This record gives sequence, structure tokens and C-alpha cells, in this order.
Amino acid sequence: MKYYLKLGFVLLIFCAGASGILAYVNSLTTPIIAARKAQDEINAREKLIPGAIFEERESADGDSYFIARDESEQIIGFVFIAAENGYSSKIQTMVGIDADFDIIGIEILDQGETPGLGANCLNESFSAQFAQKDALGLKVDKDDGEIVALSGATITSRTIVNSVRTRANSLKAELETGGEQ
Amino acid sequence: MENQNRLIVSPAPHVHEGTTVKNVMWNVVLALVPALIFAVYFWGIRALTLSLTGAITAVLVEALIQKLRKVPITVHDGSAFLTGLLVAFNIHVGAPLWLPMVGAVVAISIGKQVFGGLGNNPVNPALIGRAFLLASWPTRMTAGWVAVRGHTMSGINNFNKIATNFQGVSQKAYDLVTSATPLKVAQTLRDSTFVSEINAEAGMDLAGRIFTGLTEMDTLKNLFWGNIGGCIGEVSAFALLLGAAYLLYKNIIEWRIPLSYLGTVFILSFAFGSIPGSEPSLMLPFFHIFSGGLLLGAFFMATDYTTTPVTKNGRIIFGIGCGVLTIIIRLVGGYPEGVSYSILLMNVFTPLIDMLTMPKAFGKVKR
Amino acid sequence: MNFFKELTRGIIKENPIFVIVLGMCPTLAVTTSVENALGMGLAATFVLICSNIMISLIKDVTPASIRIPVYIVVIAAFVSIVDMMMAAYLPALHKSLGLFIPLIAVNCIILGRAEAYASKNNVVMSIADAIGMGLGFTLSLSVVASIREIIGAGTWLNMRVTPASYDPMLIAILAPGAFITLGFLMAIMSMIKEKK
Repeated sequence: MKYYLKLGFVLLIFCAGASGILAYVNSLTTPIIAARKAQDEINAREKLIPGAIFEERESADGDSYFIARDESEQIIGFVFIAAENGYSSKIQTMVGIDADFDIIGIEILDQGETPGLGANCLNESFSAQFAQKDALGLKVDKDDGEIVALSGATITSRTIVNSVRTRANSLKAELETGGEQ
Repeated sequence: MENQNRLIVSPAPHVHEGTTVKNVMWNVVLALVPALIFAVYFWGIRALTLSLTGAITAVLVEALIQKLRKVPITVHDGSAFLTGLLVAFNIHVGAPLWLPMVGAVVAISIGKQVFGGLGNNPVNPALIGRAFLLASWPTRMTAGWVAVRGHTMSGINNFNKIATNFQGVSQKAYDLVTSATPLKVAQTLRDSTFVSEINAEAGMDLAGRIFTGLTEMDTLKNLFWGNIGGCIGEVSAFALLLGAAYLLYKNIIEWRIPLSYLGTVFILSFAFGSIPGSEPSLMLPFFHIFSGGLLLGAFFMATDYTTTPVTKNGRIIFGIGCGVLTIIIRLVGGYPEGVSYSILLMNVFTPLIDMLTMPKAFGKVKR
Repeated sequence: MNFFKELTRGIIKENPIFVIVLGMCPTLAVTTSVENALGMGLAATFVLICSNIMISLIKDVTPASIRIPVYIVVIAAFVSIVDMMMAAYLPALHKSLGLFIPLIAVNCIILGRAEAYASKNNVVMSIADAIGMGLGFTLSLSVVASIREIIGAGTWLNMRVTPASYDPMLIAILAPGAFITLGFLMAIMSMIKEKK
């Protein structure tokens, strides 16, 4: 009995020691990590609509979006995140649009599609196509749209395009009913 | 020394009817010749070039590997030739020549020789080759298909019966009918967004009409003779049935697997194959049986000796399993066609099926 | 047994992947590109060195019957520290390796070396063993990843190395490609060994 207690005690000391060190490192790094994450998001928004002042808004369905204003408080665009299930993962796309709902740029934040096929959505050549396109009527070429789908990855391309279009339309509907000032 | 060979102790059977690997394999190749002739008739000499490229590559690779392994070279038995031919039969005629070559190399090396050669491979080598090609070059394997001269890819020729002035009704629907294989059409018509779109454009149930068009007698005739787009070896149901009849007559293949396979597809496609807006008809099962690679798979690949069960009941279970998987992939999966994957999956189950269906020896007591 | 001999042992003679066949999960999962392989290999090497030092130090106070849980606690703690430190100070590297770092905790090589070597040898030798095994691991991962990336994507370390007309064989960077590549490499390794 005494032997087992001793074993438990030794293990306890090791675990306590490890937890203590981890707690210390965690307290040290948490604020830095949080600051970096916030900075990353700001940078991503900045990249899409440079020089704007962002204001976060919550939409009715719980998702948030950002209103971008220039120095004279004029609305110059919106930034939102569109997310939908693709071929093998949830694809998250950050989209920047101007006040007329024309796309300024997109950035794929997160995806786990097939390497060599769907994962090619990260390529500049794919995302660059979105610039200047009307977000409300965005479609891939297979659906008679303007975005050329990735070869061998129609589902991935369609998911991204459709998620952007759906989100843009719901945003528009919300702005209209919400009586945007 | 001479006397040593006179007395041999061996297990039954003691009477050999003269069936050899060589005999069987070349007979199967012979049974595939009608399909090849039809393909050459439809698409010209290119079909023959592709097929022979696959077959000859397979023979050379097998000889090379057997030399490296320092085992007797047995390429004259025809099994490598058959594997290479079947790989090429799974490729469409618009493919580059290196595609059947790579497929044959993979089929023989990774599919067969790494396991120890003929008789030791767990799954059908030709299908390994095809699965490998499909995963590696999905666009080359699925795009650039060529329709038979004077016909459409889908086999539906009488557009105007489907809708008057069909081309004006919906460009998308027109493109679908003229440039997609029959199974691709059937799959696309299950996509509700697509269906609602073309129906809205045309102002009528166009999708339902196209679907009915797939199962009309004229279309089925095209499927039967092969006036559609498809892979080299699978295009003509008639030629494949001819070869299958020869093999059945020669007792080289046995009826259990093909019959249970096709029967399962028949029943399931009749029960679940229709789309909303079309009525289940007896033509639908025939559409599913004549289209895609089902006949090629059921008679020439699901009957491979090495990779299918040896017990009679096991063979029926194997065939039913293939049928269920094929229909699941065709009706709900991401690919229009599921014959190759369903056979590959059932190949993996073969040892288990054999174990479960092995008949009890007479008088054996369970311990 | 000298320091140098211990150091080189892990690279070829007792290569953790091809000879001991440990750490298969990261080997199959992260070798889709050379970049990932190098990152994973070096991060695992770092954790391996830390854990080997720590375990070699505490080997006399650890009761034999609970040594495995103790090793796991030590290893997991180091992995978490590496994870947090990297996220805070090397965010770019953390972003590309983020998923794989927790995987190091379940990498059998680290527990395997702790059990088979560090718990029986002194600190200096354990460091040599850790460096050797870590380098062997990194090297093997890079070899597998090089083959897969060149064949499957036509690039090496994200640089195009094949002619533009080469149509990449996608299966090499998909999951089956990992098994096939690894199988052939192991076959070659054992062929060389048999010839000796």
C-alpha cells in the first residue's frame, strides 16, 4: 500500500512540476499570441481595403462583418468572412467588397482540400480573378459565371464562389432592411 | 533418379482436364477482341494503338521485374497482356499514349509483382492501374472524351422530341446532352441546383424529359451498340456480351458473380434510380446495365480467379456486394461511375467472404 | 562508445524511420512537401533533445513501474512549451507547422528513445543520441518528401524543378503516395543492407 502511495506521489510531483512550468509559459505567451492574432486580422483587412477605418458589426444571424470607412467617414466597403463546406473541409474566405458590392479582393483563410487539386485555391492566379467582379452574381464558369474553376476541383471552386455570393447577398439584404445610415 | 518422379504423393484432384493459366488468359483476351474491334470501328486506329501500348508495356514490365526477382519469366501465359489490355480499356480514346503505359507499369509492379506475381495479388491489378491513373491525372482521365461519329456523347439523338427547338430552350441542357457521357448526364440530373436552373430557363420540366430521354428505346439501342462516348473497352454492350457468352460457353468464367452483380444493379436501379419528376420504368435498369463499365467489370474483372471468392455462396455475396456499391456510388457518390471502386473494395473483402462461406467438411466436428 | 559514434548511429544504421520503423504517423502525414518535412523534423529534434536531457537527469529518481507516465508528462510538457513559444515568437513558422506540433507528443521516436536510451545513459550520451536520431528522422522525412513533392507537384522546396510539360502525378502527394514511396524506400534500404 505504502509503495503505491509513493508511486502516486512521485507522479503527482512530476505532473505538478510540469503544470507549473506550463502555466508560467502560458501566462507569458498568451498576451503576445492574442496580440499577434488581432494584428493578423487587422493586417488581412488592411490588405483587402487599404487605408480604411474598420468598424465591427454583428449581423442578425450572429456572424460579424466590418464596415470600412475612409477619413471623411464615408463608407467605402465591407469585409466579411464566408465559410462553407467544400470537397473535404470547411473553406473560410475573407472577402473585401466596395460599397457597390464589387469585390476588391479575397483571401482564403483556412482550407483542407486535396493537395494538388482543391488546395490550388490558395494560388494567386485563382484569387486574383475575383477582383472587380460583382459579388452578388458571382458564379464559376461551369455555371455560366466569370470565375474559371480550378482544373479537377470544380467542387472546391464552386464552394468558394457560392459562399461568397450567398454571404454578399445576405449582407445586402441586411443592410437594406437595417436602414444603413 | 528417374524413378523418383514416378511416385508422387499429391492431394486431390488427380485428373487434370488440361486447363492452364495460359489457356484461360488467352481465351479471355480473345473474348475481349470484339470489344476492341468495335472500338477501332468507332474511333479508328487510335483505339488499337492505345490498347496495344498498354498490353505490350505490361508484358515488358512483367518480364523485367521477373528477371530482377530471378524467378522464371512467365509472360507468355498472357496474364500480363490481359492486365495491360484491361488498363487501356479503362481509358478513353482521347488520352495521350503515356497514360496506358503508366497505368500498365503501375498495375504490374504495384498491383501484382510486389505481392509475388500471379495468384498472390490481393486486388485486381488492372483496376489498381485505373484507380492510380484517376487519382493522379483526374482531368486527363475525365476530360476530352470523344463521341462516336454522328452521335452524341450521351446517346440521346432525338433532342427535338424532348423539347421543341431544344437548342433554343437552354444552352446548358443542350451542352449536357451533347457532351456528357450517359452516366454523367444521369448524375448531373440529380444535382437539384442544376435541375431547377434548366427547368426555370426552359419553363418546363426539362430535366425530367432529358431523364426520360435517357431510357428511351432509341437511346438504349445506342447504348447497346456503342454509339456513345465512353472508354475504349466499355463502349459497346453488344461486343462485351458476345465475349462474355464465349467465356461462359467455354466454362472459363462462372455465372454466379456476373448474374448476382447485374441482378443487384437491376433491382436497385429500378427501385432507387429515378429522379423526382420521372416515373420508374423497366427501361431504367437496362440503362444502368448497358452504360458505363458495368458489363466489362462484371464479366471480365469481377470474375478474376485470384481476387474473388472460391466458394459458390461467397461468389453470390461478392456479386451482390459489388452491385450495391456500384449503385451507391452512381446514385449518391461524387463520381458518375463506380464499377472499378466497387470491385476493388469487394476484392479486399474476398478472404473474409471465403472464410465465412467455407463449407464444413463432411463429418467434421466443431471443436 | 564515444560521442561521435552515438551521433551518427541514428542517421543510417539505426535510422528511426527506415530501420526501426518508428514515427510512421508524421512520416506519412507531413511529407507532402519538403518545407513541412524539414519543419517537422527540426521541431521533433528539438523536443527530442530536451526530453532526452530531462529524462536522463531524472532517471535515478523515477520508479521503474511508473516511468512511462512520467516520460509522457515530460514530453507533453516540452511539446506544449514549444507550441506556445513558437506561436508567440515565430508566428510564421507556427502557422505552417501549427497542426503538426501537437503531433510530436505522440511521435513514438521520442518516447522510444526515452525508454530505450535516455533512461539508461548519461546526459551527454543522451544528447548525442537525440541529435543523431533527430537528424536521421529529419533526413528521412526530407527524402520521402523530396520524392513526393518532385513527382507529385513538380517542385522542390516550392521551386519548380521539372520542365513545364511535366504533368505532375498527383497521387504522390495524396495519402496513397506516402505509403507507396515509403514502401519502395524501405525495400531499397533492406536491399542495400542484405548486399552488405
